[in-house]
Parts: sequence; C-alpha cells; structure tokens
Amino acid sequence: MSMKQKLARWKEQLASRHGAASEHADSPAAGRHSLEIPFLDEWQNKQVQPFFFDEDYCLIREVVYPLDYRHGRYQLGELHHVHQRWQAAPFAHPLSCKGFKASDLFFFDTETTGLSSGTGHVIFLLGHARVYADRVVVRQHFLPHPGAEVALYQSFLSEVDYTTLVTYNGKAFDWPKVKTRHTLIRDAVPKLPAFGHFDLYHASRRMWKQKLESIRLSEVEKEILQVERKEDVPGFLAPMMYADFLSTPHPDRIFPVFQHNERDILSLICLYIHLSNQLLDALGLDDALEQLETARWLESLGETAAAKQVYHHVTKKETKEAWQAKWQLSLLYKKEKRYEEAAAIWLELWEHGSDAWKVKAGLELAKAYEHYFRDVYEAYRYATRAYERWKTLFRTYKQGNSAQESEWRKRIERLKRKLNNKNISLASAKYDRK
Amino acid sequence: MKKKNLHELIEQLRKDPNVVYWHEIEPQEANTVPMPDSLDVRLKSALVKRGIASLYTHQAAAYEAVRNGKHIVAVTPTASGKTLCYNLPVLQAIAEAEHSRALYLFPTKALAQDQKNELHEIIEEMGVPIYSYTYDGDTAPGIRQKIRQAGHIVITNPDMLHSAILPHHTKWVSLFENLRYVVIDELHTYRGVFGSHVANVIRRLKRICSFYGSKPIFICTSATIANPKELAEHLTGEPMTLINNNGAPRGRKHFVFYNPPVVHSSFNIRASATAEVNRLAKQFLENGIQTIVFARSRVRVELILSHLQAMVKDRLGPKTIRGYRGGYLPKERREIEKGLRSGEIIGVVSTNALELGVDIGQLQACIMTGYPGTVASTWQQAGRAGRRHGDSIVIMVASSNPIDQYIVQHPEYFFDRSPETARINPDNMLILVDHLKCAAYELPFRKGEKFGGLEVEDVLEFLTEQKVLHYRAGKWYWMNDAFPAHNISLRSASQENVVIIDISETANHRVIGEMDRFSAMTLLHEEAIYLHEGVQYQVEKLDWEEKKAYVREVNVEYFTDANLAVQLHVLEEDRSEQRQQLSLHYGDVSVRAMATIFKKIKLSTFENIGSGPIHLPEEELHTSATWIELGEELSDIDAPLLEQVLIGISNVLRHLVPMFVMCDRSDIYVVPQIKAPHSGRPTIFIYDRYPGGIGLSEAVFERYDEMIEKVKQWVENCPCESGCPSCIGIVEGQHHLAKQRIIAFLRQLLANEKG
Repeated sequence: MSMKQKLARWKEQLASRHGAASEHADSPAAGRHSLEIPFLDEWQNKQVQPFFFDEDYCLIREVVYPLDYRHGRYQLGELHHVHQRWQAAPFAHPLSCKGFKASDLFFFDTETTGLSSGTGHVIFLLGHARVYADRVVVRQHFLPHPGAEVALYQSFLSEVDYTTLVTYNGKAFDWPKVKTRHTLIRDAVPKLPAFGHFDLYHASRRMWKQKLESIRLSEVEKEILQVERKEDVPGFLAPMMYADFLSTPHPDRIFPVFQHNERDILSLICLYIHLSNQLLDALGLDDALEQLETARWLESLGETAAAKQVYHHVTKKETKEAWQAKWQLSLLYKKEKRYEEAAAIWLELWEHGSDAWKVKAGLELAKAYEHYFRDVYEAYRYATRAYERWKTLFRTYKQGNSAQESEWRKRIERLKRKLNNKNISLASAKYDRK
Repeated sequence: MKKKNLHELIEQLRKDPNVVYWHEIEPQEANTVPMPDSLDVRLKSALVKRGIASLYTHQAAAYEAVRNGKHIVAVTPTASGKTLCYNLPVLQAIAEAEHSRALYLFPTKALAQDQKNELHEIIEEMGVPIYSYTYDGDTAPGIRQKIRQAGHIVITNPDMLHSAILPHHTKWVSLFENLRYVVIDELHTYRGVFGSHVANVIRRLKRICSFYGSKPIFICTSATIANPKELAEHLTGEPMTLINNNGAPRGRKHFVFYNPPVVHSSFNIRASATAEVNRLAKQFLENGIQTIVFARSRVRVELILSHLQAMVKDRLGPKTIRGYRGGYLPKERREIEKGLRSGEIIGVVSTNALELGVDIGQLQACIMTGYPGTVASTWQQAGRAGRRHGDSIVIMVASSNPIDQYIVQHPEYFFDRSPETARINPDNMLILVDHLKCAAYELPFRKGEKFGGLEVEDVLEFLTEQKVLHYRAGKWYWMNDAFPAHNISLRSASQENVVIIDISETANHRVIGEMDRFSAMTLLHEEAIYLHEGVQYQVEKLDWEEKKAYVREVNVEYFTDANLAVQLHVLEEDRSEQRQQLSLHYGDVSVRAMATIFKKIKLSTFENIGSGPIHLPEEELHTSATWIELGEELSDIDAPLLEQVLIGISNVLRHLVPMFVMCDRSDIYVVPQIKAPHSGRPTIFIYDRYPGGIGLSEAVFERYDEMIEKVKQWVENCPCESGCPSCIGIVEGQHHLAKQRIIAFLRQLLANEKG
C-alpha cells in the first residue's frame, strides 16, 4: 500500500492524537520565496523596514521615545538618575551598573513559538531597547518566516553593540534559546559573544515573592510599576498568533505581539529603575517587607555594613518585620562576637516577642550564657523555660520535630550535669546572683 | 554428611525417574588469536593487566570489521566477553583521536551502570584521559553540561535519547559532530512495539548526525535469535556484518528436562513445579554448588526464596541465598552481583531480570521453574550456568501449562529448531508519524528528504494541514507550541492504554502494568481473572472512561475466558501466495470487536463453572494480518466439521505462533471464519494486536510451511483422546472424533502440498 493510502486510513486517528485543528491551512502561495515582501507598505506604515541578507530578509522595527515618556510610575529618562547614583553607591551589588555607561544597558526580551528549550521552538521576535543621553530607542528584529533565521541573527548580532543584558528570566529562558538557535546556523552568522547579565526576575522574586501572587512580569508591572495595559495580547497567545500570521502574512495579524513585546521592554527599563531605587534608597523605604528583603539581600551578598543599616531602620517600624529585623541583626552581632549587643536584642525578644520568638531567643540566650558569659545557672534557666515554650508550640501547632526535642533534652541534661559538677546547688546560685 | 560434588549429583540425577530428557553439550576449547598489531600500546597493556593476553576469535573479527568501517552485529552467548567487541574499537578510536565520541545504548538503566563500571576499570588502567558517563534521569544537573561537552563515551538508554538528547541536539554539538560509534547492546530486546519505536529514534539520530556531518558506525550485540542480522539492519537501516564465530571456551553442559510426577492420574495432574524446584535446588545448595533458580514472577521468586532460606538456614545462613528481581534497590543488586562473583553468595533466585547481561560470573547449576516462554530466553537463562572449564548443569522443570508439557515431551522441538524471529515494524503508521513529528521538531524537513528510506512527503503535508508543521520554500518547519517527545513513550503500545492498578494492599496501590484497549476488553473486564507474572488477580472495577483497571490478588481454581464477537474486514492485500489447496495472504485488516460474555473455567478439569455478561462498547482496530484461505477441495466437507477443523487449528496456532515470532500470547489473535466476508471462503486470520501491526503476522506468512507442519505434530502428539485445551480446544457439542478428523485433514493438506 502506498504511503498516501495508508495515511488516508490513519488520518482520523492521527488527528485525534495531537489534538490539532483539522481546518485547512491557507495553502502557501507559489513563488513567495522570491524576495518580494508581502504587504511591504503596511509594514512600512508601522515603522518596519526589511533587512536583506543572503537572499533572504528579516524585518526591523524601530521606535524612538523621548526621555520624559512616562510608562507607569516612572519616566524612562529616570534611568540616567539611577545610573549616576550607582556610580557613587557605597556597596557592590549584582544590579549595580557601576563602571558602565547608561546606554550599555541592553534591555532584552524575546517572543517564541513555544516554551521548551528544545530545537523545535524558534524565536520569532528579538526586541531590545537602550537609553541614550537624549532618547530611548526600541528595536525589534522579526522573523517573517521560519527559514529566515540567518538574516534575523545577522541583523541582530551585527547591528547591535551590546555589553550588558537586562532581562526578565533571560538567564534561564531567552538567552539559552538564543544560543540554541545560534548553534543551528553558527556557520552563517557572527559568533555569539559572552554577555554580562542582569536578570530582574531573580531580583523581583527576592523582593515580592511573599507579596505577589505570581512574579510574572505582567503582575509585577501592574502591582509595582503601576503600568496599565490596554488591549494587550497575553504572552501565551504569541505562538498561536505567529502560526496564524505564517498562513496569511498580513502585519495586522502579528502586530499586537510587537506591541506586547515593546511594552515588556519598556517595563524592563522601569523595573530596573525601581529595583535600583529600592536598593539605593533602602533606608527610606516605606514598605517594611521590601526594606527587610533588601537588607537580607545585601547581607547575603556580604555587604554587612549596608545590611545592618537597613535592618536598623526596619527595627524602628511598628510591623512584624521589625521583630525579624531585630533577629537578623542579633545574628550579625553574634557573628561579630558582639555578645552583649546580641543578648540585649534576645532579651527583648524573650520578654516581648511571641512564643516562637521566645523559643528562638531563649535558645540563643541559653547558648550565650553557657559558652560566652559562662553562667551555667542562667543558661539552664533559659533552656528549661524555652523548652517549655517549645513544647507548647509543638503540641498546639505541631511546629518542630522529635530531633529538636532530643536536642533540647540533651542541652538541658548537659547543663544539669555542669551545675552538679560545679557543685553549686540551685539555691546558692540563686543567692549569688542577688 | 559428606558433601557431594557436582559430578556425583549429576550421576544421582541420571537415575531420577522424573528426568524425561538428557542433553549434553560438548565442551569447546578456546579459540584465540593474538592481539592485533594496530592496537594502542596502552590499551593492550591495560588488557594484559586484566589477564587478557589474546582475543577470542569473535572479538578479533568484530574489531577488524569495525576498523574496516563495517557495521556489525555480534551474536554472543552469555559470558563470552562480548563487551570487548565494542569497547575495543571504541577505546582504540579515542586513543588514536582524542575528539572521537561514542554513544552506548542499553535497554535499561541498571545495565548502563554495569557497563560504566567495567569501562572505567579498563580506562583507568590505560591511563588515558577518556571520559565516560551515564546520562539518564538520575544524572545530576551539575554534571550534565560536562557530559554534553566533554564525554567521550555517553552511556544512555533509548528513552533518554528520544526525549532528552535528540530534541536538544544543539547542546550536544561536540558529541554529534564527532560521533564515530553507536553501540547497541542487547539488540534482541528491541522487538515488537518497543523495537519499532527505537528504530525510529535511530532514524532521527542518524538524521541529526548527518546535519552535524558525522556518520557513525553501529556496533550491535545480541543474544541468539533466528534473525540477528535482519533485526539489526531493520533497526539501524544499515547493512550489517554478522559476527558469530564465538571463540570463548566452555565446559561440558548437561541440559535436563524434568517433569514432575503425576499425582492424580485420572485428571492428569502433576506435582507442582515449584515444590520440585525447591527440592532440586536444596540438593545443590546443601552441597555448596553455586546455583541460580529462575522463576517467572516476582511472587514466585519470593516464595522459592523463603523456602530455600528456611531449608538451609542452619547449614548456610540466610545471607548466602538471595533473591534478585526488579524492584530491588540498585545498591542491593550490586551487592548481590558482587557476592555471586566472589562466591560469598551460593544461591540466587531471580526473575528474568538476570537474563540480561548483568555480570554475576558463571555459576555451576541453573534451575528454571517452568519453560521461560521462548527458546531465546531459555538459552539466555541456561547461559548463566556454565563455566569456561568443568561441568555445569541446567534443569528445566516443567509446569502443567500446555506449552511446558509440549516442550518436555518433544525435546527435539526445543533443541533442533532455530530460535524465534524478532520482528519490528518501524513503518507502522502510528509510530512513524509520532517520530516524524519529533524529527521535524529537531530539524526542518527538506522537500525530497527521506526518513529511514521512506518517502514521507504525504505525511508532512498531512501534518501541515493539521497545523503542526509549516511549509515554506521547500521546507517543513515545526510550528506548534507542544514538545512532541514528551507525549510519546517508547515502551507502551499506544497512548490509549488501560493502566492496571493493584489494590491488594490498601495503603499501597501500585501500577503493575498496562494493556492496550483492545486486549483489555477480553482480559480486564470486571470479574476477569488477570494473570500477571504468574500471579492471579481479579478485576474489581474497570473504568473504561479513565482507562483504569483495579485488580486485587486472589487465589482461585479457575480462569476466565471472554467471548469476543469479531467482525473482520480485509482492507488491502499486500502479499499473497497460491498453494495447491489454499492461498496465503498478508495485508491490512479492520477488526471490529465487542466483548459479549465471559466464562469461568476450572483449571484442573476445564469445566465451565459459571459465566457473566460484559458491558463494553465496540472497539475498532486497524492492523496487519495474515490469512489462510481454504480452497474448494479442502472445504468440501460438511459445515459442522469444517467449523471444528477451523476452530481446532486456530486453537493450536494460538499456542504455537508466539513460540515462532517471539511475542506474548496476547500480542497476536487468531480468528477462524467459515465464510470470510471479503471472499466467502473458509479462512483463518492471524492478526497483530497492536494498531498498525508490528510485524508478527508477517512473520507467520513467511514461516507458514514450518508452522503448519508443527501444527500437525502438535495435534498428533497430544496424549489426549478427543481434544483438550492444550491442542484443539474443547467447544460445546464437539464431535468425539473431532481430533481424528483434524489430524486427517492436516495430513491431507500437507501430503498434497508436498506432492
């Protein structure tokens, strides 16, 4: 039986297997692969120009914005302010652009035909923006059909002078994808250079994972940057719209994706401004949670001095974050062996904090008295009382586990032994302290 | 009591009245040749350090053929040093040119691990920086990148290649650009649906290699099957050189068929094979003879194991006898393998998990609980016993199952015949289209490009209509947001399978298998007794919508047999042959089937002890079939007799066909029709149970003469008087002379064919 006959027999079952539409695709017009660009006038009306290379072409759109263009709560030009402030910042940070020009920052986002990192999904739109002294330029490189990737990457890689990439999850998504596509055509296009990378997704996660339902750019944009999108196509529709466009390549079919991508890129600029401000103005932040997260971030980067300053500010707030900040601060003191200052905080937590804080602070006090202040009696006192609290929490909320319980027991046993060894009766110890 | 040696035990066994057949395989001297001059000095000295000073003839032949650019398939019995057949040329190539790469494919993860360890030892002694890694689901993300870039030898399985490596080929540029060798070990396991899938994965692999400019040589190794060369050529799409000049030495091997005594003569019931196996194994173990016992199911393994451990615990200690089956942790298995090699463990009870090439050294005795099902796997299991020097013994203890009984009563069937044919059908439309999608995802198709030699333009156009691909300027591009490999499993027959869930333990429901919908109608309907690895389960609930069957372990004295009302239509005839009195045909059929009722049949007497209805919708199956159409002369007998003849022969074919084409009984179906709708002639159809067919019925077409001869012998030699379930079956109202009539019919048929 010929392949065709066999296929006819199987069509129905095959179709149900990939759940695809059975509607007929518009048949590709013959001879379209000459360099005649369909709907060129319409494209040009949308600031789109062709880029020819090696008997094929891609399309490039360029849009220029003034510096005072407002996107949500920021003007794009504010990037220059944060850029200047980074140059003078007293601490190092992964988002710092110290040593770069403002226009080195290469705000970058892509649209693809699917989310997997395999070779079957292509990037059909590479968008980027740079902020110059007098204007903001957004450029988008568009793949008009799947065969034109050489032209696309030729245009993207040769026209663009980039140093530092700013993306939203680009480390895990966009850039590996660019690498995959590049590998497939690597003999025909310039080499892919090494990039520096600011990934704002990770910064946003750190800052807002407790506050926001999701850390998708659209959510961050709406909640944090106050960007309202009207008539925007959701990103997940992009693959479908592109497939649609390929069957009838009228610009209107895909232009909404251009606009979506452009707005994403503008949001990236504003997000960079916002995150920079948060870090640079950490001391003056209103939101206690954001302030706390900033301090933690600085601490994890080893910027202890800056972190401590920010923690201090949080401790003055009348929110639950203040407790957390005090605790973090006490641990920093402990690390620096400033036990008196640490113990003062623990005592405060012990006396005024919730049960959970009491357990934590009590344990630290027990340790400090045992090993640093060398007061076994006090150590024993805090240990036993904190253990009582712990038991309450354990029984009521099922917090903690049996391993912790045996830790507590061991500690108390040891302290008891030490007390006996020193041959100090509990009573006399009490008397001595008076 | 003085310990007896193996020789004394063999002599003792010779006197055992239950031994029904004794076969001796003569010892063979080693056949060696010096190491080839071209071999790298470091590799040579590493081998010498491991005690290998010369090569067996088959190793040398494999090395030379591969060096000459030939694709090879080496057929090697267990423990004949087959790994050198591929390690030698591969290590040599890397020693010569550091950038050379090789890909090793093993059917399971455990085998891959084994090979890695062995390979590492040689590499270490070579003192050459050759990196070999296993790449599977357990590989830590941290070292994946290193493997992709710097792994000289990547050891993986077909599933990983299919879903993780090929779709991400741009991350494996250095592998694909420099791929010199692809090693396919345990080739014989790639048959049926799995093999058909893997053949397509290899088509995709070759396509990607050619994109990166490499053209690897395929090195396959296989256990003994009837058609290793054909299978390897089908699987890889390359012409193969067959290497079968095995030069490994072996000692004398005694192969004994043991039939448990009849304990209930009027019903012809025999003592249980398991009890006999326990008794025999005990004799060997007590005398310190390293023994492996094979059993067909996990449960049976555990039963025999606990029995043996209890019997010998005072004398040997329980740790000296171990079980081995799937489900044990890898660490545990490694420990057992090591214990067997070192001799610390003297007994092991295993499922067919130890059939594959896991290295446990060579044991002195092997006992099989029942016939393992195929000639090939019997020889594989038997290969576990057999030292290079000195005697060894293999005992096959027959169960009361008809096939077992046939084998022990007709030893020539087993010893004289070639092993089974392994069949695949890479061009099965469903499988092919699945992999074409994956291939298009990996790289666009060019107009005129073939896939495994097939013209696939029609399929690509179809996929374009389905909006899965996009066509432009002579190329088809993937244009869908799905990742096709994720939805395609190489191991399951179709996506629509019914999952079988064991609910015997309330807290521990587990999936024990799956079955295609079509078979599920007759085997998994509610109240069916479902046999899984020799254990009985009863189906409590069949959720047809959700494709789930819930089963519970039971122990009952009956099995169930469902009636399937089948309508068969011939769609297309691809091959046919006219014989004297009949004609043979092969082609595509449509099967419409509906399960109607089931009967409960008592195991010992085959009495019908109850029945019930089955409420399931009709199913349709397109598949390939072979059909035997009787001519005028043969069918000129009265209708009831003709019907009995057709039913009787069909029943024998159901037993026989799986033995010829290396498949499970449920993989093929035999349907007799008095008047086939397409021709009006009396016809027997044999069709593949998998949509689209996997080559089984075509093998029947090709081996018809051999098979019909066996059908006659089978019926003639069956000791029953007027038909039994082991031969022509029993139907209601069966004529008491049915068996004689069928024998006469078959004799006439065969005599005329010969004349």
